[in-house]
Amino acid sequence: MTNLKRMLLAAALGLPFAGQAMAQTKIEGLHVWTSASEVGALKVITDKLKTMGFEWQDSAVGGANGANAQQALRTRVAAGNPPAVMQFLGFEGLGWAKEGVLRSLNDLYAKNSWKAALPPVMLQFLEQDDSFFSTPINMHRQNWVWANKAVFDKAGIAIPTSWDELIASAEKLKAIGVTPIAMSDESWQIEELFESMLIDVNGPDFYKKAAIDLDETALSSPEMIKTFELLGKVRGLHDAGFTGRDWAAATNLVANGQAGMQIMGDWAKGEFLAKGMKPGVDFLCFPTPTATPNYKFVFDTFGGFKIDNGDIAKGQDAVAEAIMDPEVQKKFNLIKGSIPARLDVPMDDFDDCAKRSFSDRVAAIKDNAIYGSLTDGFAVEPRFSGVFQDVVGKFFVTDMSAEDAVKSLVDGINNAR
Amino acid sequence: MSRPTPLSNRIEHWLPRLVLAPSLLVVLVAVYLFICWTGWISLSSSMIVPKYDFVGLNQYVRLWSTPRWHTAVFNLFVFSTLFLALTTGLGLLMAILLDQKIRVEGTLRAIFLYPMALSFIVTGTAWKWILNPALGVQKVINELGWTSFVFDWIAQPTFAIYCVVIAAVWQSTGFAMAIFLAGLRGIDNSVIKAAQIEGASLPRIYRTIVVPMLRPAFLSVIVLLSYIAIKSFDLILALTNTGPGSATEMPSTFMYSATFRRDQMGVGAASAMMMLMTVAAIIVPYLYSELKESRDGH
Repeated sequence: MTNLKRMLLAAALGLPFAGQAMAQTKIEGLHVWTSASEVGALKVITDKLKTMGFEWQDSAVGGANGANAQQALRTRVAAGNPPAVMQFLGFEGLGWAKEGVLRSLNDLYAKNSWKAALPPVMLQFLEQDDSFFSTPINMHRQNWVWANKAVFDKAGIAIPTSWDELIASAEKLKAIGVTPIAMSDESWQIEELFESMLIDVNGPDFYKKAAIDLDETALSSPEMIKTFELLGKVRGLHDAGFTGRDWAAATNLVANGQAGMQIMGDWAKGEFLAKGMKPGVDFLCFPTPTATPNYKFVFDTFGGFKIDNGDIAKGQDAVAEAIMDPEVQKKFNLIKGSIPARLDVPMDDFDDCAKRSFSDRVAAIKDNAIYGSLTDGFAVEPRFSGVFQDVVGKFFVTDMSAEDAVKSLVDGINNAR
Repeated sequence: MSRPTPLSNRIEHWLPRLVLAPSLLVVLVAVYLFICWTGWISLSSSMIVPKYDFVGLNQYVRLWSTPRWHTAVFNLFVFSTLFLALTTGLGLLMAILLDQKIRVEGTLRAIFLYPMALSFIVTGTAWKWILNPALGVQKVINELGWTSFVFDWIAQPTFAIYCVVIAAVWQSTGFAMAIFLAGLRGIDNSVIKAAQIEGASLPRIYRTIVVPMLRPAFLSVIVLLSYIAIKSFDLILALTNTGPGSATEMPSTFMYSATFRRDQMGVGAASAMMMLMTVAAIIVPYLYSELKESRDGH
């Protein structure tokens, strides 16, 4: 045999084995992350997964605020072909867990004592019937104000300490010819504003009664009318071009100084950072003003569907372990703009906004002032939060009175019960 | 002569049925079976996934107690009526004008037909910018010197639906024009010449002779346009995304958000059934009368 022949033979015999050794089980993950920072952050998880011997098979379905991904998921579950791993926000995971189609991660939770590492308020979204079905990677804070520091300095505005002060500063911004509040006429963006007012003005306990327990007395109370009246004061504090504006476009108006501030969750931070702006120097981040400090959260989790395949089950465990790895949580959140879900990740490398978010979270847990965001699906099930969105959106763009808004809110919630 | 029918005749007899059978089967399953399935779901308490129980007309009661659904139904009527009337009217007018043996007819025809080549998503996005008071028409006219000019319909809940009409008419008029033009070309010139000899004026010829002779073209245009009107889902999503404040909600967008956003599959199915019944109530009698007459006529 010549050398060449021997090599060919060895190659022919050896390749299948080599191939087998290298082939990693593919774990398909369905998620909604498509922007640059989201994709970059996800790569932290998938890189970790690779070191654990599994290959991430990416199925990103973006668009329509996650509705497209939900539609894809429903179709696939109905067809008996669910993805191995699915991203869940808010009540989405609970809905599937109730259908009994998600795999329990109780063993992993017990082995790694994950329960103790997470904020207690998170657990209700991770557990159904004593079975943990998903793991959280991050926590976003919803109630932030993002402001352009140069514009604030020019108008001589200090950080407002109440909503009345914030609206007064907005009038000052208007006087110097800047759009006071960058926003959109999209109902959900208006609702971000409304739900911040709801908790800031009436306190966390009222927010729980009205937006989480859907208590009818709270929903029809004078406090609710007062909140709508406050929202009404913001009518006219935006520009004419706010129709159909994307939230990121609104953030950019603040970043380039055409607008003074925006009320939005901390996914907006990435837009400033991408322009090379520094928190505290070029832009300001502060919680929506209130006398009763509170923290409103949104977080992303991943859970696995029951699939009759041992390798995939191992892969689903690996995804959970990768997500709960403190180092992964740190690197992921440095890119994504949120803070780690785990309470024990050191925050030294994070920026000031993230540090503020982290320390405010610790304080809010202690004071029982941490609740899920209404707009982003962490307060009530979508059929109820949708009613809030309808009413708040309509109230803001029409001349509807606060009393009528409260009445249609109560009627709408009762109709959806 | 009672000879057995030859084989070729029998094949001729069966071939059309054989060829049509697969598509008929697909239509039966994909359309009619799923209509029945949706009807069933609309009577169940389905939320996130289908559930096969029976709750009577509860979901329909819930649907009709939702103010957003009332907006959607109202919008569908406003939109369909205006869209059909304007598109048909403008399309006919353009076809008649183009039919006057003018020069560069081919170029004009291509220009008018071109919007049809775009998807509603593109049309919606383009018009979203054109109608935006801070970017589009209003800004241009303000900058030309007429500073008090205001055209912000898209930001006004009461007028936003007319913006959807404008964009849809812009896209579909060329299509109606093309069908009418084909119809006009099919009309025998001698009829018109005879009328001219009798001394009829041109408008009168069109009103009493040509337009009535375009009846088959009207049928095609109206059926195709109503179908475009009802599936205008993508145009709404791209142009207004049902805003401002749900003012441009349509039954189709309502159905989508109930089923896929709000976990109210039962309500979504009920709204789909209402859409089907509405369309059937209008289209079935119209098709019936039009097709019956043409069968009698031949």
